[in-house]
Amino acid sequence: MYVGAVFFPLLGACISGFFGRWIGDKAAQWASVICMALAAICGVSAFIQVAYGHAPATLEIATWLDVGGLQLSWALRYDTLAAVMVGMVTVASTMIHLYSVGYMSHDPTQPRFFAYLSLFTFMMLMLVTADNLLQLFFGWEGIGLASYLLIGYWYEKESANRAAMKAFIVNRVGDLFFMLGMGLTFWTFGSIEFNTIFQGVEAARQVTFAGFPVVEVIALLFFLGAMGKSAQIGLHTWLPDAMEGPTPVSALIHAATLVTAGVFLMARMSPVVEYAPNVLGFITFIGATTAFFAASVGMVQNDIKRVIAYSTCSQLGYMFFAIGVGAYQAAVFHLFTHAFFKALLFLSAGSVIHAMSDEQDIRKMGGIWKKIPVTYAMFWIGSLALAGVPYFAGYYSKDFVLEAAYAGHGWTAKYAFLMGIVAAFMTAFYSWRLIILTFHGTPRADHHTMEHVHESPAVMLIPLFGLAVGALFAGAYFSGDFVGHHWAEFWNGSIVNAPHNHIMHEAHEVPSWVPLAPTVVGVAGIVLAYVLYMFLPHLPGRIAAAVPGLYRFLLNKWYFDELYDRAIVQPLRRLAVQLWKVGDVKIIDGMPNGAASLTAQASGRVVRFQTGRVANYAFAMIIGLVLFVSIFLFGVGR
Amino acid sequence: MTQPLLANYFPILVFLAIAAGIAVAMVGGSVLAARQKPYAEKVSAYECGFEPFDDTRRRFDVRFYLVAILFIIFDLEVAFLFPWAVALGDIGWLGFLSMMAFLGVLTVGFIYEWRKGALDWE
Amino acid sequence: MNWTLVLPELVLALAGLAALVAGVLPKRDTSFAINMGVFGAMLLAAVLVMAQPEGTAFAGQYVSDAFTRFMKLLVLAGAALGLLVAMDWNVKEGLAKFEFPLLLLFSSLGMMVMVSANDLIALYLGLELLSLSLYVIAAFNRDSERSAEAGLKYFILGSLASGLLLYGASLIYGFAGSTNFDRIADAVSATEGVPFGLVVGLVFVLAALAFKVSAVPFHMWTPDVYEGAPTPVTAFFASAPKVAAIALLTRVAAGPFGELVEQWQQVLILASLGSMILGALAAIGQKNIKRLMAYSSIGHIGYALMGLAVGSDLGIRGLLLYMAIYLFTNVGAFAVLVAMRRNGRALEGIDDLAGLGRTDPAMALAMTVFMLSMAGIPPLAGFFGKLYVFLAAVYGGYWTLAVVGVLTSAVSAYYYLRVIKVMYFDAGEALDARPTSLSVVLAGTGLFTVFFFAFPAPFLAAAQAAVAALVG
Repeated sequence: MYVGAVFFPLLGACISGFFGRWIGDKAAQWASVICMALAAICGVSAFIQVAYGHAPATLEIATWLDVGGLQLSWALRYDTLAAVMVGMVTVASTMIHLYSVGYMSHDPTQPRFFAYLSLFTFMMLMLVTADNLLQLFFGWEGIGLASYLLIGYWYEKESANRAAMKAFIVNRVGDLFFMLGMGLTFWTFGSIEFNTIFQGVEAARQVTFAGFPVVEVIALLFFLGAMGKSAQIGLHTWLPDAMEGPTPVSALIHAATLVTAGVFLMARMSPVVEYAPNVLGFITFIGATTAFFAASVGMVQNDIKRVIAYSTCSQLGYMFFAIGVGAYQAAVFHLFTHAFFKALLFLSAGSVIHAMSDEQDIRKMGGIWKKIPVTYAMFWIGSLALAGVPYFAGYYSKDFVLEAAYAGHGWTAKYAFLMGIVAAFMTAFYSWRLIILTFHGTPRADHHTMEHVHESPAVMLIPLFGLAVGALFAGAYFSGDFVGHHWAEFWNGSIVNAPHNHIMHEAHEVPSWVPLAPTVVGVAGIVLAYVLYMFLPHLPGRIAAAVPGLYRFLLNKWYFDELYDRAIVQPLRRLAVQLWKVGDVKIIDGMPNGAASLTAQASGRVVRFQTGRVANYAFAMIIGLVLFVSIFLFGVGR
Repeated sequence: MTQPLLANYFPILVFLAIAAGIAVAMVGGSVLAARQKPYAEKVSAYECGFEPFDDTRRRFDVRFYLVAILFIIFDLEVAFLFPWAVALGDIGWLGFLSMMAFLGVLTVGFIYEWRKGALDWE
Repeated sequence: MNWTLVLPELVLALAGLAALVAGVLPKRDTSFAINMGVFGAMLLAAVLVMAQPEGTAFAGQYVSDAFTRFMKLLVLAGAALGLLVAMDWNVKEGLAKFEFPLLLLFSSLGMMVMVSANDLIALYLGLELLSLSLYVIAAFNRDSERSAEAGLKYFILGSLASGLLLYGASLIYGFAGSTNFDRIADAVSATEGVPFGLVVGLVFVLAALAFKVSAVPFHMWTPDVYEGAPTPVTAFFASAPKVAAIALLTRVAAGPFGELVEQWQQVLILASLGSMILGALAAIGQKNIKRLMAYSSIGHIGYALMGLAVGSDLGIRGLLLYMAIYLFTNVGAFAVLVAMRRNGRALEGIDDLAGLGRTDPAMALAMTVFMLSMAGIPPLAGFFGKLYVFLAAVYGGYWTLAVVGVLTSAVSAYYYLRVIKVMYFDAGEALDARPTSLSVVLAGTGLFTVFFFAFPAPFLAAAQAAVAALVG
């Protein structure tokens, strides 16, 4: 069961990847879907057994590396944290696989798509069940690779290739820090197995590295690594571009897997991170800023998938500042509920795009809600959950995250709370802006497209229903266990709070207006969206015209891409040109060319000894023998 | 130490002396007793039908090699057999079976030579 | 006298004798049946090796332990793969004689005796049985001038090496008073100040063994013999005998002369450095791919010797793993060379591989895997082989070795990559269809090379046990 949850997707990937050509598209699709479904069954039962049966387990599969002091095994570590992730990932991925059967039905290379999709899921599962940092890194790089393949799936498109490259390179920046963190961990703890690391934390608190407490440095490096994967401000630029991939990919990447890897990493390393108060403050600050920044950008975007992408970015910010204030449980809870409603939103958006003949610009939509009522309803459910309207899934998790931020200590926590409230307002606003522009008003698409608008087939709608159930009830059902009064026994030590950290307790005892605040601002955001886009549709344009600078600032995503272009890409390119002209052509090329010609010359000399005459060879052997004896006698060569 | 060691070799010295004596006696006897009538062909050394003093790179039949090699193998076999036969009483069954195994291997080799035609001159 | 201990060798020897008679008695062509029989005998011997108990036999001349088991399995695997690679080639070249598999069998027997030797005499016996077989198969293509030349060269230089070995062995016997390794070890550790003659004897033995593994400066025969001998024979030369000779070298150096580690270490370091550098440099300009592989094998022996030269358990373990990985990668690469045949003619030029990426993508992919593995690109098996020996060198503080190793592997990557470049970027005609036996070998060795990284544990464990048995 434990093994099945992880390896069924790999099996599916192999079947559709290697044999797809022989068994045909249909068989390849369903093979991978069935494998995923089996994995989901295994995953959910593992979740129940581990989280509710309180039976964490570690499965050794094989010894992997045994080099010097470094001994590693392939092992599956099933504690509550891993089980939550496994259950969530397998279920969401199954839904997305199923949905893809319908969504990709017109694609010429479906087996390839399903192989990538299953491979991606496998890598993610490998990541969350890792027993040591290297195995985690294997999964981490694996999802990086698979996401590169998926984002660039339509490789004929120039933009898709660029987006894939961008995602890969930006992630590589984060990975560098991850590797440094891993190295420093090995240096500090003498091991990269989680158990050993967690046991050694107390001792490691005394150790310093380059004048700083080593725990802080490790936590910082891992967080910088997580920033890349989880698209936190600064390293977020790849995320919106990644929308170039097929929509199910966006759902898989943004909902359940890739971007949550960073959050997972932080939660997994909680025993270490807990003792790095300065880094926690930094995490809070970055998370809160991301939440605010992404929400503000989301308000003015016009691409349906980009809006949702920025909302993901923003929700990830929530998760990170929850981690920053020490409420890892809340972060994972939000991650969990977010997976359902964000997958739902993406898949609904995919359904809209499917219906609109691959149109993604919301300015060219509108007035279609009667034609695709099911999708419309699903979009509502997803948005309600995202906006944190009471009793939907997002309400429970987001509320708790904000309560934890309020209860947290230090100015960063206060800042996070403030930013979180503002972002909650903006989230509600852009969600309904999206709904209204997409589904209501006068149709802005051309006649031909409008005639063609149709509800998606059942194979795409069933996953939507499944996810909608999650978006409706996952929060209410699980909140008692994840963050409620039973959290300690539920998590069963898989997430560690330091003795001085009482955030989980304090978060329940905040003033009574705090839990209400997100709901109030959420509803206010919805109302404002209705006012602006439903009843007074001329107003938004005028507002934009009134503050053109702000509008452009937001529309251009705070000029991050331009900033990077100016500050990093162009100087680097100039430097590169300089290096190429001077350094490379003259010096570097000179050196290897010189070295190469030297090598070639040396090669020529060496070969010249090879005369082909036996006598010469025998002579060389005797000389060698004499040389050896002399070495023995005189001890040269040391 | 050296004295008894050399003493062990005394019989060999005796053999050498006897051998030298016999050789000298045979050649000397023939010189003294027989009638001498030398001519060129008669005094030249005989070596398997080759000129004794000739270009070393001359071609000759590879079959000579084959015969020589086969001779060496079976010659060695005999060389092993003599001491084995003498010591058979001391080395027991293990010694006996070892030699049988050795002969068996040689026999297999012999069968191979025979079937391959290495023993036919033509 | 424990006969069951030598059962694998016994079975192999009897099978060889039986096959010799069976091959020569019938009038018709028996080569295929003998091929299969020999293959079966090798597999049977491998199974028996796995079941072999530990202990000594023949009054301490023969030893069986985890080390011999590891090496014998490698040797038998190499020989069996060599036979598979050769079968089809021999038929096509008109060399399908039943003596060929028999010679492989007898050389395997020699190698097994070498591996198990615990006495200078047993060592010489095994080494000669191996060498004599190899001399003959090097010249197996009697009608080819190059093949005959290769055989003759190998024979003359090999006899010189054997002479050195015997001279060294007699010196050792004279100064240690015994030919048995255990007694020699006692003599080496007992006396204060090792006798000078013993050390010289050791040098001679080491030199002879260095000739067998073709380490610099005793490597001169390698390129000529590799080029001249028939390709499958070269494949065999480069795999199993190297493993056996390395095993013997390790046994001699780490066993009886373990106390003298500081003395032989310097020689091995020099040989290792020389082999790595020469292997990397000399291969660059080669046009003939067999010659290239010869220099490449010299280089690989350099890396393997690095493991022995550092003189630690970790190093020897690295050496064993390196040889295991080298064996399979090498056989795979040679299987590709054996398959190089166009319009019925065997080819040997690197340029003849041109266009393989299009005409036979599967084989081109396999060759790419082997070349990258030899160049030490992760995550292929070759990378791990290098990793283990480099790590051992670094842990032992032998920075020169490690640094030169890394530099030379960078240089050697050049010519490995050139092969790949030729296959994918140059245009060329299609080769003849490759026979099934080669496809099997290619698939097996290719999968091993690719997936070693996922399942190194059994190999590691076996190598660890072998080292423990050797060092004690």
